[in-house]
Amino acid sequence: MKKVLFLGLLAIGLVGISPAQQKKQPTKKEAGVKPEEVRRVLLSGFEQDPKFLWKLEQDESQRICSQYPSMEAMPAQAVQKVIELENKNITYPQWGIAWGDWKEGKKLVDNPRGGRYASYGFSDKPTDKGGNCYACHLIEKGVPGGTMGPQLTGYGKRYGITKENMNSPEGLEKLKTVYKIVYNSWHAFPCSAMPRFGYHGSLSPEDVMNIATYLLHPESPVNK
Amino acid sequence: MRKILLTSAVFGLACAGFLGYQTVKAQDQELSPEEEIRLVQEFNRMMAEGINPGEIWAEMGKEAFKKYNLDKCDFGLGPGKIEGALAQLPRYFPDAKRVMDLETRIGWCLQQYAGMTPEQVKKFAKQCWGKSQCMGEYDAIVMYVSMASNGQKINVNLKDPQVRRMYEIGKQIYYARLGPWDFNCATCHAGQKEARIRATKLWSADRPGEAGQAVSIFPKYLVRWSQPVTMHYRYAECIRQMRWPTFEPHSDLAVALSAFLYGTANGTEIKVPGIGR
Repeated sequence: MKKVLFLGLLAIGLVGISPAQQKKQPTKKEAGVKPEEVRRVLLSGFEQDPKFLWKLEQDESQRICSQYPSMEAMPAQAVQKVIELENKNITYPQWGIAWGDWKEGKKLVDNPRGGRYASYGFSDKPTDKGGNCYACHLIEKGVPGGTMGPQLTGYGKRYGITKENMNSPEGLEKLKTVYKIVYNSWHAFPCSAMPRFGYHGSLSPEDVMNIATYLLHPESPVNK
Repeated sequence: MRKILLTSAVFGLACAGFLGYQTVKAQDQELSPEEEIRLVQEFNRMMAEGINPGEIWAEMGKEAFKKYNLDKCDFGLGPGKIEGALAQLPRYFPDAKRVMDLETRIGWCLQQYAGMTPEQVKKFAKQCWGKSQCMGEYDAIVMYVSMASNGQKINVNLKDPQVRRMYEIGKQIYYARLGPWDFNCATCHAGQKEARIRATKLWSADRPGEAGQAVSIFPKYLVRWSQPVTMHYRYAECIRQMRWPTFEPHSDLAVALSAFLYGTANGTEIKVPGIGR
């Protein structure tokens, strides 16, 4: 547990996340509106196609996160609870922690499609699989991206990964740290804006490993 | 004269679109860099010349408004009175026993005075969803009624307990983390930190005035789709991108979001139609 926290802090330090969001009162206890009422209004707003209604079921962590306007407004207890829950929600590729294929990872990072569906107009195909990472992150030098999330250019360099040390226990430990963040960001940054790609099954453990490899591998364009 | 100018501008654009590019580009497909550049140039030109093709819809809406007997519709200021209607919505309507925003009210009136069934109204409201260069009568009506409030300041009565209730519910839903990608509205539209999604600067409900700037220009004409986007259509698009199930217009969810957003935007001057890339 301590180790996880330490690694989380390390990651914050390395990545330089500065979530300077506003501190505000929790939205929890608003003037007498019952949760059932909010739920009823919410459910009223969607087509009642049973194929998709599972999307509206909240898990425990989502319920906790919904109570606070931002990560910074969360009390320590809630932060702890989400970290505890989400550490259980990480699984690894069947061959364990080993470097994947950064070229495959790049495809997933570049692909903006996946998961969007509506009964009108245009939807992603069920087979579309992508992280749409550039929406929020700057990753390869010179490629335009968003600024919602931390900048990831030279990510592997910042982690100090080289050809020589990448297969050392320390190198693999760093790979594991990044794997876990991409698989389930909330285990390190509770209620962060980043989706829990692996936990929800949007990306498989192998996909996530390829993305982590793309971010860290010395030969990846991220670190050129 | 202005109308003729606008009409020719829109017609010209449509032609250019058809000639230069293989017919209508499906919404939400990724655009090629050339198309992106064309859109930005077109957008800049329209901004510089003060052309907003969205006004065409208002002309069309004036006729549709009569055609569907909406002059009997009370938007809260008396039957058929649309000047300033948008500025005071959402509000509680005793006849419907419901808080309603502009589009929900139009939908209700279409049932009452145009003899439409609820299903027909939904279909009517969604007739241009997912399309481009679509001249829809519903969008036209919303545009016509909205433009009648231009220059007025948004003034949602949050002291009304019914409206307040919807405001609070809307606020809670704004912060509800939901769905297979864990998003809520606040993921993108809250907080003090200025951020971009790709090249798009995000407005935040927490930074003063930005919610107002965002909602006071709806319906908004989108250059890339060559058609206006109403508030409910915009909600639907946000919700699709959040990976939630398909949104229903005129629902209580829509009203709750409108109560929260327009309530937060109180005091902002309405400037319809807005224009966006």
